[in-house]
Amino acid sequence: MASQLKRRPQQTPDLSTPLYPRLEENLTAIKQTLGNPQDLIVRTFSIDNTSLTCAVVCFDGLVDSDLINDKVVKHIQLTLPASGKKLPPPGEEMLTFLLREVLSTIEVKLESTFEAMYDRVLAGDTALFVDGTAQTIVIDSRGWQTRTIDEPVSEGLVRGPREGFTENIRDNTMLVRRRVRDVQLRFDTMNVGRRSKTDLIIAYMQDIANPALVQEVKRRLATIDVDEVEESGFIEQWIEDDFLSPFPQCQVTERPDKVASALFQGRVAILLDGTPMGLIVPVTFSMLLHSPEDFYERWIVGTLARLLRYVAAFLAVFSPALYVALVTYHPGLIPSDLAFSIAATREGVPFPAFVEALLMVATMELLQEAGLRLPKPIGQTVGIVGGLVIGESAVSAGLVSPVMVIVVALTAIASFAIPAYNLALTFRMIRFVVMFAAAIFGLYGVVLMFVAIFIHLANLTSLGVPYLTPFAPQLLNDWKDLLLRAPVTFMRKRPETGQPKDHIRMKTGDAP
Amino acid sequence: MNNVPYADQKIRTREMVIIIANAVIGVGILTFPRSIAKETDAFDGWISVLIGGAAVCLIGWLLGKLASRFPTRTYFDYVALIVGRPFAYLLTLLFGVYSILMVSFEVRAVGNIAKQYLFTNTPVEMITLAFLLIVQYAVAGSRMALLRLNLIFLPIVLLVILMVQMYTLRFLEWENVRPFFSTDWTTLLKGAKGVTLSMSGPEIVLFYTLLMKRPQDAPKSVILGLAIPVLLYMTIYMVIIGVFSAAVARNLTFPTIELAKGVEVPGGFIERVESLFFTIWIMTIFNTCTIWFDLTITALRSVFTRLSKFAWILILSPIIYLIAMQPQNQVEFLTFGDRLSYIGVVIAYAIPLLLLTIAKLRGVKESD
Repeated sequence: MASQLKRRPQQTPDLSTPLYPRLEENLTAIKQTLGNPQDLIVRTFSIDNTSLTCAVVCFDGLVDSDLINDKVVKHIQLTLPASGKKLPPPGEEMLTFLLREVLSTIEVKLESTFEAMYDRVLAGDTALFVDGTAQTIVIDSRGWQTRTIDEPVSEGLVRGPREGFTENIRDNTMLVRRRVRDVQLRFDTMNVGRRSKTDLIIAYMQDIANPALVQEVKRRLATIDVDEVEESGFIEQWIEDDFLSPFPQCQVTERPDKVASALFQGRVAILLDGTPMGLIVPVTFSMLLHSPEDFYERWIVGTLARLLRYVAAFLAVFSPALYVALVTYHPGLIPSDLAFSIAATREGVPFPAFVEALLMVATMELLQEAGLRLPKPIGQTVGIVGGLVIGESAVSAGLVSPVMVIVVALTAIASFAIPAYNLALTFRMIRFVVMFAAAIFGLYGVVLMFVAIFIHLANLTSLGVPYLTPFAPQLLNDWKDLLLRAPVTFMRKRPETGQPKDHIRMKTGDAP
Repeated sequence: MNNVPYADQKIRTREMVIIIANAVIGVGILTFPRSIAKETDAFDGWISVLIGGAAVCLIGWLLGKLASRFPTRTYFDYVALIVGRPFAYLLTLLFGVYSILMVSFEVRAVGNIAKQYLFTNTPVEMITLAFLLIVQYAVAGSRMALLRLNLIFLPIVLLVILMVQMYTLRFLEWENVRPFFSTDWTTLLKGAKGVTLSMSGPEIVLFYTLLMKRPQDAPKSVILGLAIPVLLYMTIYMVIIGVFSAAVARNLTFPTIELAKGVEVPGGFIERVESLFFTIWIMTIFNTCTIWFDLTITALRSVFTRLSKFAWILILSPIIYLIAMQPQNQVEFLTFGDRLSYIGVVIAYAIPLLLLTIAKLRGVKESD
């Protein structure tokens, strides 16, 4: 792999060369390298009515042009002459003078190579060149248009904060830091993507997270070697333990409150610029069935909602298969009255139960996929077409039995109750496999598939943490936040699942 | 990806208790009331269960003692320490053969019972094959995962068996239960022998102690692990005799499954619960089966070190399947099971106990 990359002819110019001392040369080189695009701003002007010229280079749209006008150009052109300060001779001293006395922005830095300068300018900073020096002042001026902080679309809650991550990583770090006002919060930064150079932030609590975990996350992230990283999905697929598994091994979230609570459990969050979807590792199966609302509502409500979700997970995977198994192989298991009425409704249906179920479940998948792709106003049409036309007409046309429609509807609703979208996708896939097993072996096939799924889950790990923790390995302390959600005052220790360094969450746990 | 150093790869004591309980709970629990009812012919059989259970506990405790004497060594290694390498080869191989037979027995049991309660037309060969494939899948994965599956399935299985007992309590007739304490001691001891034979499983401690976080807890965990099935055997026996009477129970092939027939879910939502009961029971038979398969491979790999785990699975599976298909009918199958338990007593109980005695006498310990 590496040798192939080396053999590829060098297309990009060598960027590691130092800057030229002459302004003109620098500007020509920049224009040539970048292909003189329309959004490149190169503004040349002279300092304080002397013959010393300088230039600002930046990209229109990426920079906050007001800031450049007010804090840079105006200062050099107007304020500086008015102040009557004595100008140093051109050269290094001039740059230091500008840095110290003239420019009034917070973040400025000197760079001396093209590569470093390009990195910053392409990221939205502004480079200030002064004739006669082989260095440039890079001014932090990032100020592009961003989406405002919005409600998280994929993880709505009735009770809980309405803020969601945005595409801007600064907003996202702000959202997390506002929730974690602790000196131990770490945002380790790195760039991923050889060309896209996307900012990535590894967030964790220094004194809670297990250092081995943080190190492993960093090790895996450091191996990323691709051109571009568009979305955190690239990261997820690169660092996951088992790429063959249908189960997600990272938690995906756009909720800052979820990230913050994960950090306090000693887990690690990965935020990527350009996407509102953050990743949290390690994750276990049970975590994907939990919702922050379990904690925001009172514990009885939280517990019941949780139990309901475990049932929903079972139904989402197994209900069509159970229908097929019962109708085809074990009609004796169904109460006789019901069995007769099911048989009566299936009277006109020409297909075996398995084909009938496959037809309906596949149609449901189609509807779901179509509904996603359509613009919102037309989206409702899919509901009408799907619900009324297909459901109602398929029954009256004698294609499927009404019981089958109920089963499919139940399955669909159950899978919408899964809080993690990526887990719901997994369930949709597995459902078909289980249906096949049910078609071949009936209930026996279903239970064998149940066992097989658990074999897979027991073997699966997320960043080395067994996926079925705390069920197996059994960590009884963590069971307070598993099937049940114990009252807040009971949870005095952090969950063992993340193997934290600091175990104690609250000292006494006595409510007033 | 690489192994992560912080992932905990040891079995806790509590987990070992569950694993042993689940290894003991398997096919035996479905059939044992028949043999005890045959011997004791009365409700008093529960005393037999208690005596038999206590005997198994004692043996299991001693096995645990033997294994925890060598907390970091495999069975082969410590047998070699005690009686020398040639005997170690022989004894480990014998254990391997015994565990192959155990896997075959469990696999065939699933086939037979599923045929009786779930399918009538599907050939038993296919049912068995499907089950064996799933067992292979589990064994091919990591050892720790295989053992952890016990933690998932045992609660489900216990819940189901307790519910079956609760629902059938209302059919209990006092005439079946009385008279108490009418059986003489020799008969009770005969029944106890049957219980001891049907409770195979504690011997897994010989192999799994070195995976434990605290190997010195092995004897304790065997006792606790056996307590669960012994209690279960007792209550099941009482309920079965109470519901069916001893005369009926001795003629039922799988009395425990027949018991589930009596369950009526309120509202009649599910009928013929015995099919459902056995379907769920497959989980624990599966666990027992994977443990024995894993032991087979562990035993054989310590003798023939060059073959990989996966190669052994491929070699052993056809053998297991062929052995499982040998019994031609239910009677032959049950005889197979009976003979197997006698082999088990020799290989898994008598020989290790002898080893323990030798180790004690010669003072062989881990440090040697």
